[in-house]
Amino acid sequence: MKKKASPFFYVFLVVFVFVVMFPFLWMLICSVKPAAELFGDKAFTPYTSHPTLENYVSVFVDHPFLRYLWNSTVVATVTTVYTVCVASFAAYAIARLDFKGKTFILGIVLSVSMFPQIATITPIFIFLKNLGLTNSYLGLIIPYTTFTLPLSIWILVTFFRKIPLDLEEAAKIDGASLMQTYWKVIMPLAVPGIFTTAILVFIAAWNEFFFALTINTDEKYKTVPIGIAMFQGQFTIPWGEIAAATVVVSVPLVIMVLIFQRRIVSGLTSGSVKE
Amino acid sequence: MKNSTLKVEIDENQVPIIKNSVTPAKKRKKLFTEKTAGYYLVAPAMILIFLIAIWPVLQSFYFSLFDLKLNNPTKSEVHLSYNLNLERYLNNYPFLIGAIDNEIKNGNGAEELQSIKEKLQSLDKKLQRNSNINAKYDSINDRLMNFEQVNPDVSITEIDRNMAKEYEKTAKIINDKIKKMSVSIKFSQEKKLTGLAAGFGDALIQPNFIGLQHYKDNLTTSRMWKAIGNTTTFTIISVLIELVLGLAIALLINKAFFGRGIIRASILIPWAIPTAVSALMWKFLYDGQNGIVAKIFADFGLVDNMEKLLVTDTGAMFSVIFSDVWKTTPYMSLLLLAGLQTIPDSLYEAAAIDGAGKWKQFMKITLPLLKSSILVALLFRTLDAFRVFDLIYVLTGGGPANSTETISILAYKVMFNQTNFGDGSALSVIVFICVAIISMIYIKFLGRDLLNDR
Repeated sequence: MKKKASPFFYVFLVVFVFVVMFPFLWMLICSVKPAAELFGDKAFTPYTSHPTLENYVSVFVDHPFLRYLWNSTVVATVTTVYTVCVASFAAYAIARLDFKGKTFILGIVLSVSMFPQIATITPIFIFLKNLGLTNSYLGLIIPYTTFTLPLSIWILVTFFRKIPLDLEEAAKIDGASLMQTYWKVIMPLAVPGIFTTAILVFIAAWNEFFFALTINTDEKYKTVPIGIAMFQGQFTIPWGEIAAATVVVSVPLVIMVLIFQRRIVSGLTSGSVKE
Repeated sequence: MKNSTLKVEIDENQVPIIKNSVTPAKKRKKLFTEKTAGYYLVAPAMILIFLIAIWPVLQSFYFSLFDLKLNNPTKSEVHLSYNLNLERYLNNYPFLIGAIDNEIKNGNGAEELQSIKEKLQSLDKKLQRNSNINAKYDSINDRLMNFEQVNPDVSITEIDRNMAKEYEKTAKIINDKIKKMSVSIKFSQEKKLTGLAAGFGDALIQPNFIGLQHYKDNLTTSRMWKAIGNTTTFTIISVLIELVLGLAIALLINKAFFGRGIIRASILIPWAIPTAVSALMWKFLYDGQNGIVAKIFADFGLVDNMEKLLVTDTGAMFSVIFSDVWKTTPYMSLLLLAGLQTIPDSLYEAAAIDGAGKWKQFMKITLPLLKSSILVALLFRTLDAFRVFDLIYVLTGGGPANSTETISILAYKVMFNQTNFGDGSALSVIVFICVAIISMIYIKFLGRDLLNDR
């Protein structure tokens, strides 16, 4: 029997959602305010009588924002595809096969996920610089492995463990061939887990800041987080444009979260809960 | 999975995977035992992890033992031994000899200069007798004569310690002598001669191995300790607040209610937005003139003046912590909620029948059963907080007056603003050691729970 929610509880929910979402709502309002209303008397009014899209136009016209979006998309997609491929083999073996040293391997994966990025940057930077890979997509995809690979192995292992072994056996007894068992039994069951992992890895790669800041300094190869952070001029900060850019970046992420929220939650909590 | 009937089964099932990942295993597939197949499947990931994470950390430690500065050509690489920059040497030696000859011809201090010249020439002969140098001496010289570029990798040549010491000694004697002479004698091209003599020693590259000097320097400077202090303050306060708030929220929403989807989405959105973007957003909200949150804080009397939020020590630290709490409390409550949902309701019902109150139920059922969830959530949050970089980099840049400078920010500044990679590596190794200590403490509490499969 679950506890029932009281009216007071719904008040709390409304407050909670409002507090959490307030910064976004405020940025949304500010993004359509004309520049003059961002400062002075009207800076604190939660509405504007002269809504304008000039901030949005300026984000795409005055800054290479489309370029940033493209860079982020390329880097995050390639990183996701290749990490999840490599990780799924390893995770499958760790979860399903019986061999010595599994706990040790999982221990290494976990410890590597705790490594501070700063402790790897010097050698990685010098290595990429010597190869001429700074300011390139590969220059980010390679170091991103340091956090995406442990993350995906960790999540995938818990997903693979949940696939019931009986199904594989049953398929075999029913006379399914190797390929049939693999594609028709294991893959369909593993797909949701792999997909969830891919979403989390994609978000992690999309949001990464430190490597992107240090390795790709050229305007042509900056990713979205760096691009937005560098909107701040030396003397003035174009808040209207920043607000618009924030909205532009947030909208796809918000849509993604709304569509995949159940998957994301199951992925985030999979490693941390013992069932 | 120790079940022997399964063994064959699994073995064959993973043939398709083997085919994709490892060498042509098609014909030998029956030979693969589960064990070897397991190693093959894990190998690519482990090799990658070793190459891109473990090896760099070891290298960071190695680099931290050197005086490594990327903007200084003589220190831009690790030099365990003495080296001679042949390009520099050949850009100096022939011209120095020429300048000396010129003065001798003009009769300025001819006798002494003659002895200097002989010294230089005998040193040059010795250098040319060195097999490493001999091979490149002429080709580099020709290139320089034709004003062509010389690759620094080629021109830097290792020489042995005795030779280096002799070179150093000669360079010093020549420089001192010529300087002394220039006081009493009027050279016809004084500037050229003294300049060349002074530059002669620069071709020698000293080994930049300095042992634990960076650590010694760092551990005795107040800036490093302040950064550690800031990091610790930030970590402890933000993680504690996040734990308490997160637990409270998780307990409150652990029930059936209408609109769970909205709550879940609003929990996930702050987590999904890039930290750099949310930091910038907060920077605007905290702004001293136009920031709405700064105004709200001032109206509620949290700060006496809204301008003070980002420009005072405590104000800035408070702002950073507040932003972090906003971004990660929902995430924390999500992890704890997942833990709460594994506690069966029947336990609470039984406790209620036995007359245990809400508080007692919380202390005796919820907390003990939630212990491992709490510890796991705390472990990941503590480490994330301790490694904090992007939030502070964007929001305050470590300021005002280094009051929010964390150890990662300090290491970044030393590396990329001062291009002092040796010192920066030492700082990053210190971060690494701190992180290792923190995780060891947690893992001790957690036991091996975290890694066991069942």
